[in-house]
Amino acid sequence: MNQADLSKLVSALRIAVKPKPKLLSCPEGPAGRLKKLRATVTALVKYERIELNYPRAEEAQGYAERLISDAIRNGDCHKHTMEMADYWLNEKQLVHKLFKVLVPRYQNYNSSFTRLVLGPKTYPGYYAGTAILELKGNPFPALQPETHNYHFWLHNVLLEEAKKEFRSAREERNAGTTESVTAES
Amino acid sequence: MLRRAVLQTFRQGLAQSFFKRYAVSLTETTVTHQPIETSDEAGERTVPTQKTGDESGNTVVVAPPEFRFIYPEFLPDPAMERRNRLREKLERMDMLQRRSVIEIPEFYTGSIMAVTVADANSPNKFARFVGICIQRGGSGLRAWFILRNVVDKQGVEILYEMYCPLIQKIEVLRLERRLDESLLYLRDALPEYSTFPMDMEPERRLNNSVVPINPLKVKLRPRPWLERWERQNLQGVEDLNLPQRFYDRAEKVAKPWEKYDLMLHYRKTIPAEEQEKIFAEVHSQLQQQELKRKLRRRRGSDNEY
Repeated sequence: MNQADLSKLVSALRIAVKPKPKLLSCPEGPAGRLKKLRATVTALVKYERIELNYPRAEEAQGYAERLISDAIRNGDCHKHTMEMADYWLNEKQLVHKLFKVLVPRYQNYNSSFTRLVLGPKTYPGYYAGTAILELKGNPFPALQPETHNYHFWLHNVLLEEAKKEFRSAREERNAGTTESVTAES
Repeated sequence: MLRRAVLQTFRQGLAQSFFKRYAVSLTETTVTHQPIETSDEAGERTVPTQKTGDESGNTVVVAPPEFRFIYPEFLPDPAMERRNRLREKLERMDMLQRRSVIEIPEFYTGSIMAVTVADANSPNKFARFVGICIQRGGSGLRAWFILRNVVDKQGVEILYEMYCPLIQKIEVLRLERRLDESLLYLRDALPEYSTFPMDMEPERRLNNSVVPINPLKVKLRPRPWLERWERQNLQGVEDLNLPQRFYDRAEKVAKPWEKYDLMLHYRKTIPAEEQEKIFAEVHSQLQQQELKRKLRRRRGSDNEY
């Protein structure tokens, strides 16, 4: 039983955070894991949509969300946030992009800032496959079609009514036959 | 003019900057910020609670940001596998119930406290122990703290569970903080740093609204030690004066990347929105209990005259 660490205030992340981190294997060990994720987070902020393998994408999503949420909560004059941004973004012009472009974009978001979409598995087998990690609000065309509620479109209304009519007619027919059966017996 | 050890006061900024508390070094604390409000002051202020409006225009009562330092055991264990919202809510209800019966004062690691426990085997049926709080932990009803003292040249540490019904009284004799969150190094320090008289009187605070940090640097006994203190980045210990090979090995074994591991920090703490929700739930009852105690104390002091 541990007490929560009080030294830093963090915003709640709106993604599913797993209880244990995924250890990415690399020759440098644990130090190399953060180095790899740094490259991924930098690329995500630079290109706003990247395709990579699912395990790394899942981890990098958490770190990217944390970085952006810290930047929104604390702003660019906060020393700790600046240190984090300096560490996680290898290209220093992206630090400017984070605070000047991404923070205003995500200021009033109630959802997560990134989207993780499963990509194609190029070879058959039991492995996680690729994933596409993107920042929401990016200028590219959407990966998945927009989901609308088509319930009230005319042809759907007519189809629903037709279905109801068919079902009620069938029930009447069944009721008619059973009545005639019971009457006979 | 008596020369006293300078106690550095712990200043806290406004709601946006209260997390500077741990990031700021000692030399920077002398820069003027607004002082923190502790439970004593809170009742006397004209607007103790922060009332913010929500979308419907109703005022939403929000607890002051310092609550997370004064009542850290109200926050649940951050490990995701052990979270259970219903259990946490029931625990908080029980904690408030216990706090209405006994006063559990505000204290920090480094404060000197006296605890009276019901003990069937002692002649007075009560056992009182005075000591310095070297560590505190646990969450919910299992919150605990360890008091250390040296009695008859023997170091004694007792772990008390804050909400144990056997505890009759918890007094804070000296409320202060130290430079570290855990004073376990006092086990390897010279005994004078852990010795406190058993009949110590409660000290009056110079400034009720600010909790002072004692910048004391403790001298350790010569090695062997219980832990490798040179690897722990302790602020409250004097220069360890070890051979260079110890520091070289510490550097090799160190994990400097953990400082930047944002998800590690996230998994070790409770998000701010959840903290606010928890303290908004409990803070009105805690404030009522504080006020009742203050009135009782005032009425008690009036009755003396």
